[in-house]
Amino acid sequence: MIRFVDVVKTYPNGTQALRGINLTIGDGEFVAIIGLSGAGKSTLLRSINKMHSITSGQLFIDDVEISSIKGKDLRMLRRSIGMIFQSFNLVKRMSVFNNVLTGRVAYHPTFKTLFGLFPKEDKLLALESLETMGILDKSFQRADQLSGGQQQRVALARALTQKPKVILADEPVASLDPITTVQVMDDFARINKEYGITIVANMHHVDLAVKYATRIIGIKNGEVVYDGPSSKVNDDTLVQIYGRSLKHDEVLGE
Amino acid sequence: MKKFTLSSGSTIEKPFNKVWVVLGILTLLIVIFSFFITFEPSTVNLSELGVIIKKMFSPKAGRTWGDYFGFINQLWEPLISTLEMSLAGTVIGSLFAVPIAILAAKNIFKSRFVYVPIRFFMNLVRTVPAMLLAVLAVYFVGIGVLSGVIAITIFTFGIMSKMLYEVIETVDMNPYEALESTGASKVQAFRYAVFPQVFPVFLSYLIYIFEINVRASAILGYVGAGGIGSVIKDNVLYNYDRVGATLIVMLVVILVVQFFSNYVRGKLQ
Repeated sequence: MIRFVDVVKTYPNGTQALRGINLTIGDGEFVAIIGLSGAGKSTLLRSINKMHSITSGQLFIDDVEISSIKGKDLRMLRRSIGMIFQSFNLVKRMSVFNNVLTGRVAYHPTFKTLFGLFPKEDKLLALESLETMGILDKSFQRADQLSGGQQQRVALARALTQKPKVILADEPVASLDPITTVQVMDDFARINKEYGITIVANMHHVDLAVKYATRIIGIKNGEVVYDGPSSKVNDDTLVQIYGRSLKHDEVLGE
Repeated sequence: MKKFTLSSGSTIEKPFNKVWVVLGILTLLIVIFSFFITFEPSTVNLSELGVIIKKMFSPKAGRTWGDYFGFINQLWEPLISTLEMSLAGTVIGSLFAVPIAILAAKNIFKSRFVYVPIRFFMNLVRTVPAMLLAVLAVYFVGIGVLSGVIAITIFTFGIMSKMLYEVIETVDMNPYEALESTGASKVQAFRYAVFPQVFPVFLSYLIYIFEINVRASAILGYVGAGGIGSVIKDNVLYNYDRVGATLIVMLVVILVVQFFSNYVRGKLQ
């Protein structure tokens, strides 16, 4: 469970990215965060695994307050949270398998990992994750030889290899074509259902957010302006989030 | 500054390109310096050049072609010590360069207090010519291969640290962010996100610097740093034929090293 209590984030340059966020995200939910660029979506997402630390308020992950944790405790927290990025963030010239295996690095002490050796269980786990994502046959190709959609699947496999409870996705399909977008979103839905992993995803495409997520959180100027089931999102809620109603071609992500 | 006015009435100014200023100053300097340089053709003696070349590539009076090429047999030992000191110096110098290059990379150590002094130190090392390093090394540890290794180590360190930190700075830092998000420590994130991008380039540079060092160390022997250069020094002026034979061997060895270097670096892409 993820719980925000009066969370405020002010950047050193004075920008107020989050202005008093109160939210509770339960285990196994599929939440999409929507809003304009610069509304604070990314900051909100990255505060959950403390890639950005918050300025004030409290943030609980399973009843552990994370705003003060650091060092080993922080790394243990991050280990249980997978993260997916818009640009996949793979080491391009490394094999798919080795990229996925890096999901296990945090499970071992630093000195042990320096030599690049992993126990067999880790290797099997990495290959199983690749099988789950349907790209086992690509395991020993270089990551940059794969298409965008396949690379995002490699990133998902890396996250799965962490054995996470939560996966955070920062614009996971923003650099993919419409067809691959649907495939990758299907993958998220499958992971959410089959493994019960909580998914929190920042989305630009409102229709995709509504179609795949069970809950929509709308952010505007660092505040939550909509929080409810995706089935109840209508024109009025979009006016609240985006400041005006969206035309048909603006909603469409495909 | 150039100003464009569009048909709509909007205007935009193109900023002045400073490259032209730099090029202009350089040209001016070259023109000024060329006035101070005077060539004295009297010192150039082309006929002497021909004589020396002829002396180098034919046996000395009283010796046969068999002697000329037989001398090559005596070159194996100094040749191997040249290659040894190049290899040892390249490897040791490159290894020393790694931590310094990491400290000098702005994307890894963001503090100016780290990279500014480190870069200053690097630049300082690089200003010393290899030949001077060899002279100093001979002064401190005496004539022999060890002084060659020391000179080449420092020379390699200078080039490698500079080239390597520039590579580290151009690395894609997105995977580093991803590794940190998995809970990896900074050292682990470096090992699994930065290292795999840098290592093949490092190896490629190492081989290239080895190639440079084989050439350089051939000369270093001249000042007492051991290897094949000392053979040239011992024979120049008296046994031009031996100098010639040595040059032929050096040429062949350097060609082989270059071929090997190009091949392996091609494989590393």
